[in-house]
Amino acid sequence: MAALYHSEDFVEGGLSYAYDSGHVDYEYNIPSGLAMNVGASPMYDESEMQRHRIASMLQPEVIEFLVYFQKCIKEKSIGELQVIYETGFDKMSADFFRQESWPEADVVAPIVNNDKIFLMLYKELYYRYLYSKSGKNLVSQQREESYYNYCDIFNYILVGDYDSEESNPVGLELPNQWLWDIIDEFIYQFQAFNQYRSRVFAQQHKSNMESEFGYLSETSSWNVMSVLNVLHSLVDVSNINEQLTVYNSGGDPTSVSGVYGSIPLYKNLGYFALIGLLRLQCLFGDYYQAIKVLDNVDFNTKSTYTRVAACQVTTYYYAGFAYLMMRRYQDAIRSFCNILLFIQRTNKMFQAREYQQTAMSKINDQMYHLLAICLVLHPMPIDESVDSQLQEKCGDKIRKMQSRDVQEASVEFEQCFTFACPKFLSPISNYIDDGGRGIDITREAFNLQLKVFQEEVNQQYILPTIRSYLKLYTSMSMEKLADFLNVTMVDLKFHLLCYKHKLNNRVWVKGAGGLSGEFQSSSELDFYIDGNMIHIADTKVSRRYADYFIRQIHKFAELHNTLKQLPTPKK
Amino acid sequence: MESKKKQIAKQLVGIERYNPDNIEPLVSYVDFQAREPAAYDVEANLALLKLLQFNGMSKPDTQRKILLKSLTALPASDFTLCKCLIDETTQHHTVVARILKLHDDLETCNFIGFWLSLRDCAELVADIVGFEDSIRRFICRVISITYQTIDKVTLSELLNTPVDTAQGVANLGYWIDRYRWTDSDRHVLVSNHDDSIKTKNIVEKISFESVMGLMKL
Repeated sequence: MAALYHSEDFVEGGLSYAYDSGHVDYEYNIPSGLAMNVGASPMYDESEMQRHRIASMLQPEVIEFLVYFQKCIKEKSIGELQVIYETGFDKMSADFFRQESWPEADVVAPIVNNDKIFLMLYKELYYRYLYSKSGKNLVSQQREESYYNYCDIFNYILVGDYDSEESNPVGLELPNQWLWDIIDEFIYQFQAFNQYRSRVFAQQHKSNMESEFGYLSETSSWNVMSVLNVLHSLVDVSNINEQLTVYNSGGDPTSVSGVYGSIPLYKNLGYFALIGLLRLQCLFGDYYQAIKVLDNVDFNTKSTYTRVAACQVTTYYYAGFAYLMMRRYQDAIRSFCNILLFIQRTNKMFQAREYQQTAMSKINDQMYHLLAICLVLHPMPIDESVDSQLQEKCGDKIRKMQSRDVQEASVEFEQCFTFACPKFLSPISNYIDDGGRGIDITREAFNLQLKVFQEEVNQQYILPTIRSYLKLYTSMSMEKLADFLNVTMVDLKFHLLCYKHKLNNRVWVKGAGGLSGEFQSSSELDFYIDGNMIHIADTKVSRRYADYFIRQIHKFAELHNTLKQLPTPKK
Repeated sequence: MESKKKQIAKQLVGIERYNPDNIEPLVSYVDFQAREPAAYDVEANLALLKLLQFNGMSKPDTQRKILLKSLTALPASDFTLCKCLIDETTQHHTVVARILKLHDDLETCNFIGFWLSLRDCAELVADIVGFEDSIRRFICRVISITYQTIDKVTLSELLNTPVDTAQGVANLGYWIDRYRWTDSDRHVLVSNHDDSIKTKNIVEKISFESVMGLMKL
């Protein structure tokens, strides 16, 4: 009897390998022949056989971990779940699954008694790990399976327990970091799918792409309406907007939260869905709607409604970018400075996941680049520590963007923008026959946004030069300036009007609602024209020393106290 | 106008914003905005552009009207927002390309160039009521933040109210009165910037409270 279950037999009879450019994916098929042989014997049924098979494929520590994981979810022990999620899972991945992915859900199912809810969450982690290891190589089928899993998760959360008749909030509790990651990853996979699809459509004439092309033209998974629907439903069911309004005015959010909204799972998912919508709207180039979604989130003052750092960073990055495209440079600069300062101060406390850390440092760099762009177009004083980091990372680029040589500056602007912008998506989902030109529509979406940005920059090309001349005088005649700039008087008038126009933008003043604001002029260098004379007003900021001294005094006082408490060395 | 705005806004809440059934009502709303100079709803217009994008539809006439109306909203950057939602192929069509040129002229404050370009495509803006006056409002605004005194000839050129015709002089007078500028013979006093635009010296102010903590040490 033992010979039947020799591991090699299983390997040969029961496995089919699917090679994915060097990445081995195990797909388990129970060959019917073997099952029938076993069925003949009354002592071994199918589940027993599966358990044995698993026992020979999975290490006992993995099985133990999965069972413990399931227990924590069932018992809603949030503290332990947080540990498992933030460190336990990664440790297991590093120890046992460094080269490959976790086993598929079917394999794991018998260990956890086919617990549907656990399997949904397990699959979420499974696919996320898969994407982090070999994201670019996944085929449509795998992407679609992940999509359907997300649909299951969201259906479960929004519609309620499978068993009950009416919809009730589910009794699930998950750590906030996980909830944020679900939304973040959901949008990320949507982005990845779009990029993959437009790549396949563009290359459809290549021989190996035909089946993928056929599949992608038919499938309705990952369509933009469902994604939007999920996010909007989460926002609606949790009444998060009403809760935020009440919270901002100092009231008690539970008065408006409703049955679902008062449960932390729903409240947090609602908030994260808002940020998800902000991100999605930016990806489609709808910046007005992006900021509008944040109407009730008071992100312009420094309070933090949530403790998930990745969520904060995402919020400020996309909000700042939207402001930049709307030409509200002062607001963009303020958003970026806020979050860059936050990152600087809390750098040590970030989560350990490798792909999340690289993502964090990338977005950090991107924000410095965007900040550089904003400051070239709209110079203003910023916090010293952010400024010093900025000079270190982008000092060179800033100089090039300010160069008199329009060509050089323009190239530099384009490079910075290309590096720092989000991965735009095209709203078109169907295949459109472009006569075999092989146009990648995601690339087209990016080109459109780049074009709008470049046109804006080109309209302002002469402004830095004007500014540098104006800085040198308190008043000068129009003729003199025209002479310096080598332009006609007529043209000079337009340039000066343009200067005033471009630097007079809407700036947020107070309250929630990022779209609001008054028109304010750039404070640094201002002027007015009286007849033929230009009167210039510069802003001189004297060096700030008080803050520095106060900080150092406190530091020394602390040092002094620590020294006093040290035991004196005995002779 | 307000009630119509609210009514449309209700239809665009949440996921309903993406409902293709909204396209027709929004198109007629744009037509309404074209007829009424004071009517302008940037949110509804952007929602329509988005819907057209998602459903792969093209309505060149409506898009033209939306773009022209957003020109009248300057100095707000509404036109730029619209540009982000109109794909490049459409942007190369002659009609849209000419409107983009108008926008470029206005943004670089090349007002004389703007009036010239406008003369060439007068038929494009014919059905937008009060278009020229809205643009003049924007021009006056920029002038008022830039100039303290401006000579009349320049002013009339910028506003396209030529002083050699009686009509032109009357128009110029209208705009001067509207913004309460003072008309002396050859110059127009726009506004006194002496007080608002002065060299600022930002000196650090150290409040007593911030050093109070130190005093205790």
